[in-house]
Amino acid sequence: MKILIEKLIVNYPYTIAVLLFVIGALIVLTKSNLFKKLIGINIMESSIFIMFVGAGYIRGGAVPIVDKVNPEALYVNPLPSALMLTGIVVSVSVTAFALALIIRLHKSYGTVDAKLIAEMRREVKE
Amino acid sequence: MISTIKSNLPVFVVIIPLFIAFILPTFARRLKLVEGLVISVETLWLLSAAYLASIVLVQNGIPIIYSMGGWTAPWGIELKVDNLAAFFLLVVTGISLPVALFAKGNLTEEVGTNERVSRFYVLLLLLGGAMAGMAVTNDMFNVFVLVEVATLSCCALVAAKNHPRAAEAAFKYLILATLGSSLVLGGIGFIYILTGHLNMGFAHNELIQVWQNSPHVVWMAMTFIFVGFGVKSALFPLHVWLPDAHSNAPTPASAILSGLAVKAYIICLLKFLYVVFGQNLMQQFNLHRILVLGGMIAIIGGSLFALNEDELKRRLAFSTVAQIGYLFLGMGLMNTIGLTGMLFYLASHAVIKSALFLSAGSMISATGKKNISEMVGVGKKMPITMAVFTIASMGLIGIPLFSGFIGKWYLLLGSLESGNILASAVIILGSVLCAAYLLPIIRIAYFEPAPEEDIKDPGLPQKTALIILAGAVFVLGIIPGPILELAKRAAVQLLMIQ
Repeated sequence: MKILIEKLIVNYPYTIAVLLFVIGALIVLTKSNLFKKLIGINIMESSIFIMFVGAGYIRGGAVPIVDKVNPEALYVNPLPSALMLTGIVVSVSVTAFALALIIRLHKSYGTVDAKLIAEMRREVKE
Repeated sequence: MISTIKSNLPVFVVIIPLFIAFILPTFARRLKLVEGLVISVETLWLLSAAYLASIVLVQNGIPIIYSMGGWTAPWGIELKVDNLAAFFLLVVTGISLPVALFAKGNLTEEVGTNERVSRFYVLLLLLGGAMAGMAVTNDMFNVFVLVEVATLSCCALVAAKNHPRAAEAAFKYLILATLGSSLVLGGIGFIYILTGHLNMGFAHNELIQVWQNSPHVVWMAMTFIFVGFGVKSALFPLHVWLPDAHSNAPTPASAILSGLAVKAYIICLLKFLYVVFGQNLMQQFNLHRILVLGGMIAIIGGSLFALNEDELKRRLAFSTVAQIGYLFLGMGLMNTIGLTGMLFYLASHAVIKSALFLSAGSMISATGKKNISEMVGVGKKMPITMAVFTIASMGLIGIPLFSGFIGKWYLLLGSLESGNILASAVIILGSVLCAAYLLPIIRIAYFEPAPEEDIKDPGLPQKTALIILAGAVFVLGIIPGPILELAKRAAVQLLMIQ
């Protein structure tokens, strides 16, 4: 147990990523407010970004620019950070599109609650 | 000039549709021009895919490898046109062209003004480019980016219809699909942490050496990727978004979404499971059994839901859920014949489902009714549309001489070869259930008295598109030729990776 907790603390970026991922997924699945669902998705995606960036970080590593005086120095892996830049762009565009959809839904139903919208739709059907 | 185009063709098949997509809005008001451009681009695209496929067939299994920007494999992004990629490129381009033809002059009713229709075409081309990219790319992070492009354009295609229900379906789809792609990205992250590679081949070589050090991480990666792509390709318990999204989209979009988009994710999953993890690791973690079991549940569950549904498009959407089950089942069989069957069934289902959705869409827009029980006598008023619907239904049920038969036959042989009697029983039961939910539509359309209203077949481009697709159902069933050959070679190639 003690070893487990020690491992969790030493690898804190991963611990945080797992916690955030679970929180995000829980919000997405349980909340019926569309905005909250969107926030949950964003939290979830951020957790994955943290995991990637944490994977690239080396404790005590330098900025990954070759140092001519000390070429053997330890560098942080820049690739995951570069990848996550793309990931963040993707996540922003998803957010923008979802917000546009929420505006359209609010215009036609007058609410942003998924449960109320489902109820209204059922009434229309009957 | 020509040699430059030839040597860069693997990247052109991805870039041409993306590039044209962003030019289209500049003349959004001149719809005729937009439609002409889209159809000519799709034709060009089909020809380039056919050229690549012919090269791959002639080269006998040696893939065309293209390094983006001249950076070779472990560092740069690698495009690889092997048998699987050529096969899926042919399917994507071959379906996109008739669907674009069907959309010609037919969208204003469902989508709205000329500008909205032009935007619809932008999304169609974006989705096409992303799917072509998923077929040819050999880089895991590139797969994620293309998956996101495809997801966003799919959701926007659903929302293109001018109806609040479409927006609601699109939002639900967007949330679940983003959940799926986050899981996929997480899985890619685990593989990257373990191996330090993003190229699929290099990651595989590293993974089979180091997986024993941390089996739990490999297990997590596999689960994340399986569930992520499972949500995106609507494996049965995770299918909740599909019926709403596919039934509320405009007709050509439903055809593309049900026929192609879902399959693109399955091709990605296939690549991850067989190319990155390899069959030994899959067997190690018993994933192939989960795939077969999930497929069986999907076949039965999807068919039962389809039986219960009276809305025509929703019934077809649930039928897609059932047919996805066949693909997952075939993926888990792990022998050449089963995998060949799965790939061929993927192609034939793409043709059949787009034919079904397009003919159903024309029936719905001609009659103005959505439910099957109200479609009385449509067959007499719209002979061509209903004939196409009937041919496609026969294909989906799997009657010999139609394309679905060959795929199901190979799947059946594959399940018998792997000694899974239950799976073969479920394959046959799925066919029976499929007949049970499709034949009543045909009965109502042909054998009930026709209504008095003035209902006609759709216009010439629509008829042509429907007849091309119906012809393809026949041709694939009688002379499967190069498609089956490519599927066979792709299966052999995938199973060679240990």
